[in-house]
Amino acid sequence: MSILHTASLLRHPADRRSFLEKCAKVSFGLSVLPFFTRIAEAAETPGAVKAPNAGLPGFGKAKRVIFLQLNGGMSHIDTFDPKTGASKGPGSIVSAKGDMQLTSYLPETAKVSDKITVIRSMTAKVGVHASAAYLMRTGFEQRGSVQHPTLGAWAQHFLGTSHKTLPSSVTVNRTANHGNGWFPAAYSPLPILNPTDGLLDTKSPVSEETVAKRTGLLAQLDAGFGGKVADESVKAYNEFYEATFQLMQSRDLKAFDLAAETAETKARYGKSKFGQGCLLARRLVENGVRFVEVAHGGWDMHATLDDRMEEVGGDFDRVYAALLQDLDSRGLLDSTLVVVASEFGRKPTFEGGGRGHHPLVFSTVLAGGGVKRGFVFGASDEKGYAPAANGVSPGSLHATIAHAAGLPVQTDIITPAGRPMQVGNKAAPQTAIFA
Amino acid sequence: MRPLALIFGLCLGLTALAAPKKEAKKAAMPVIKAVVAPAAPVASLADITPIWHEWTDKEGRKINARFCGLTGDFITLQTRDGRNYHFKIDILTPEDVAFAKSCVELARRTNSFSPAVIASAAADIDRLVGAVLAANKQQPNALATDAQFLRRLYLDAAGRIPTAQEAEAFLGSTAPDKRAKLIDEVVFSSGYSMQMFNWMADLLRVKDTFAKGVPAFTFEDWLKTRLAANAPWDKMVFEMMTADGRLSDNGAAGFMLFDAEMPLDGVSNLMTTFLGTNMACAQCHDHPLADWTQRDFYQMAAFFGATDGKDEAILGAINKIAKADSTLPKGSLKKIADMNAYRLDDANKQKLTFPKDYKYSDAKAGDPVLPELIAWSKADKSLPIYKVSTKQPEQLRDEFARWLTSPQNPRFAANIANRIWKKAFGLGVIEPVNDIDDLAQASSPELMSHLTFVMKAAKFDLREVQRVIYNSKTYQAAASDTPDLGTDKYLFNGPLVRRLSAEQVWDSLVVTALGNYADNVHLRRGEDMKSMALPPGKVTLAEVKNAIDRSRKALGAKGAGGGKSSGGSTIGLATGYDGAKPVNRFSLMLARASELPQPSSESHFLRLWGQGDRLLADSATNDGSVPQVLQMMNGAVAKLVADVRSDAVMQAAKAATPEKQVTSLYLSYLSRKPNSRELGAASQSLQDGLALTDLAWVLANTREFLFVQ
Repeated sequence: MSILHTASLLRHPADRRSFLEKCAKVSFGLSVLPFFTRIAEAAETPGAVKAPNAGLPGFGKAKRVIFLQLNGGMSHIDTFDPKTGASKGPGSIVSAKGDMQLTSYLPETAKVSDKITVIRSMTAKVGVHASAAYLMRTGFEQRGSVQHPTLGAWAQHFLGTSHKTLPSSVTVNRTANHGNGWFPAAYSPLPILNPTDGLLDTKSPVSEETVAKRTGLLAQLDAGFGGKVADESVKAYNEFYEATFQLMQSRDLKAFDLAAETAETKARYGKSKFGQGCLLARRLVENGVRFVEVAHGGWDMHATLDDRMEEVGGDFDRVYAALLQDLDSRGLLDSTLVVVASEFGRKPTFEGGGRGHHPLVFSTVLAGGGVKRGFVFGASDEKGYAPAANGVSPGSLHATIAHAAGLPVQTDIITPAGRPMQVGNKAAPQTAIFA
Repeated sequence: MRPLALIFGLCLGLTALAAPKKEAKKAAMPVIKAVVAPAAPVASLADITPIWHEWTDKEGRKINARFCGLTGDFITLQTRDGRNYHFKIDILTPEDVAFAKSCVELARRTNSFSPAVIASAAADIDRLVGAVLAANKQQPNALATDAQFLRRLYLDAAGRIPTAQEAEAFLGSTAPDKRAKLIDEVVFSSGYSMQMFNWMADLLRVKDTFAKGVPAFTFEDWLKTRLAANAPWDKMVFEMMTADGRLSDNGAAGFMLFDAEMPLDGVSNLMTTFLGTNMACAQCHDHPLADWTQRDFYQMAAFFGATDGKDEAILGAINKIAKADSTLPKGSLKKIADMNAYRLDDANKQKLTFPKDYKYSDAKAGDPVLPELIAWSKADKSLPIYKVSTKQPEQLRDEFARWLTSPQNPRFAANIANRIWKKAFGLGVIEPVNDIDDLAQASSPELMSHLTFVMKAAKFDLREVQRVIYNSKTYQAAASDTPDLGTDKYLFNGPLVRRLSAEQVWDSLVVTALGNYADNVHLRRGEDMKSMALPPGKVTLAEVKNAIDRSRKALGAKGAGGGKSSGGSTIGLATGYDGAKPVNRFSLMLARASELPQPSSESHFLRLWGQGDRLLADSATNDGSVPQVLQMMNGAVAKLVADVRSDAVMQAAKAATPEKQVTSLYLSYLSRKPNSRELGAASQSLQDGLALTDLAWVLANTREFLFVQ
């Protein structure tokens, strides 16, 4: 069974069972079998896959999601939630577009902040980088006994693949890290470790003539096994080969190639790996990839926060503003949700020129995909220490993104281990942020 | 203790043994209707090792059952219907008590099964499988061809395909027992240990680093050493469960240290790995779909409540040293701190308490938990191994390990037997293999029972058990297509057609590139790591400096070539190879997967093809993807295949005619000779401008290469 037909089949419950059974046979990790069987049964029950949140504001507006991960813990007080008094950082407070205040470290973002919604009341308990990053990436606390999927995999489960030849999920500047969770490996994001390299191995090292002769002979010699064996997983590989032949000749490959961008556009995004990564993300979503994660490192500012904010924050600021402007000018922002997420915030107090980890309150920023433009949701207290109103958990953030992407939230699926799970870990979406 | 009469009544099949815990809940299996008893007594394992026996009790009643074991005063017997019985031996006649003891003696003297025992135990498998197939009006598959058997056996037992020479030697042999001979040859080859390492690494979550980058190389070395010695599974597990100290003191500590930061998850993981019991849900609440309660989980976890994985005092002391002398290299200090702080130690107090949010009435939140073993049926609790002492907290882990690894443990032998069966057939007798709580869910409970028996009779020698399986006609039958398990259980007409594992694909490509050279390339990195160990109790500036110097000397030579790649650390990789070194081609380090970083970095061929991330047990997959195919067609591996230096290509080039060259490449890649149509097409292509390197590329890209039949 090829992943190619997933989308259409998943929309028709009548076809769903046979599809899922085939799918289970293909991804013959076998532990998925009970899972798919159960889901298939659920799907036959009328309304079982209906989204209870379908009627709420913002549902399904985001056709694509770009998820920017600021690794290390972005200081909310020095970026999107400026404070006065003892908590104040080295940057000054500036009035930005969209009637909100930002710090002077984000001058470019301040020019496009009328396109964004800032959530200033994110709250969590995990103050360790890896575990907190896992929580922000999946919406679930990390456990040694189960791997939770990313939103891209959840979306592929509920909505099918987003394109006939391109992957549905891509990670940029980071590894895939089992982003499929308990879903089949085919749902794992395609990792692009270096955006300027793009997708590797799409060109044959030998001449076209030799390729043609080789593939011609391959078709003849494979007729015995590949052509005759009826096994589903063999058939699946026949289709992967077919899909690869198509992709190699496909125009869609250009989605991975930054060389096709004008010098001006490239310059706007900047030469940094994050800049090029965000440009690649835009190209990918523009061409049909549904979910793209882009990682940006360097936010763990325990010391010399001032300098680091200039450098790391400055890079983010320029690239982020360029991305929002670019998407908006192409008419893509209304249907593309851009998320800025960091694993936690930083303490209101300074210690040795920097701030410590602070998960109790921090900020997350959303733009596009149906969210309000120029809006602040929730608040931290005066010091920036704890949420003052509308606390939002990482699970709820995930439910919110899932809701925007048109996924059923607060709806059980059964994992291969037989455990009921929900996207966003049972939390409700924050529908107040949608226009 | 059950009354004697009842035991014998049960043994005689007059009534059913107390039903397994979950049997009542799940519907009876539709597939297995009846197992036809063999018409005539079949030569079985028990006929050769004298363990089938008519046992007589002091009241003169008799049953026919096989001897399974003697633990203290308790004897375990198994009747022909596969049921196990445990009872105090003193109800038997003195003659039978002596006989049981002589069985134990005999078993001790035998290291490996004789050919006759192997043949008999394999025949039992065929008989049991055949009976279930017949009862369901199915046939076993026809015998696989020699070529299919050859390729399957090499992949299953050596982890790679045979070379052309190895293939030719077997295919050309006319010896009637050539399959049995090949089995013995391959299971005693060095490829066998490498293959077992790959398989076990996925099960045991073998990773180069745990926690925040703490290297675990001595754990890998320990595992390789134990596999090379063919250490029995129960011994290996016991060593892992009871290991004390740092990784530099005892590599076996690596298994438990992996979860040092999350001990509750560790308990949940080891239950899955060693018992096929999935208690993860019960960590936070009563299991919604099984009978395990949160209390069950906590009571099990309490056996580890006195065990500590991290010595904060050492971390503090090294931090102080770091602050006092800022010239010390931070990176080395962190490594030394981690290497010395992570260790397994048992305190004299069991500290686990019920969690703050405990919501059931059977215990109070915050109360200390009393260790108690789980049982799958009421009868389990009367087994002697359930009598564990919980009085000395520092002994709790050892007590647990004794229970865990005992042949009497109700799931320990079944779990590993089922997993080994899956390794050979592509499917467990019970699926999923990580949840075998309900043995009645087996596609054939009789087969499961027999395999469990063989596992115990082999004293957990996994090589012996695999020899038995490989010698069965069931294993040697032609492969079945992937069955539709949604409607019926698979009854093992033969093994399943399946894609090679990531390690099998990689190791096979390495063999085509280098011949069997890579079977002699061994990576051992633990010794370098030991250089960072501080003398016990001496966390001083001077000792820390010594350790830094030692580790610099050990790692210095490879500082330039080592470095870090995304994913796995390659520290010590360059000089970690003793004897033969890996060959580098097209930026690929050509060593067997077991002799590369564990797991390989995420961008490596192995990971792309489904090598697990090892964060959880059984994390490997064999799912397909487009990037895999891109690599095979265009990537470094494609260049490796279509290279004039490739061993397969060079062997073919030596042949005199195009037909012989084609045949040689077919043997190298597909372990068989081409048929006339293939021979014609391939030879013609060589006339039409394709080179042998192109033909190698074509064969490596066939589906047949990727699959085992």
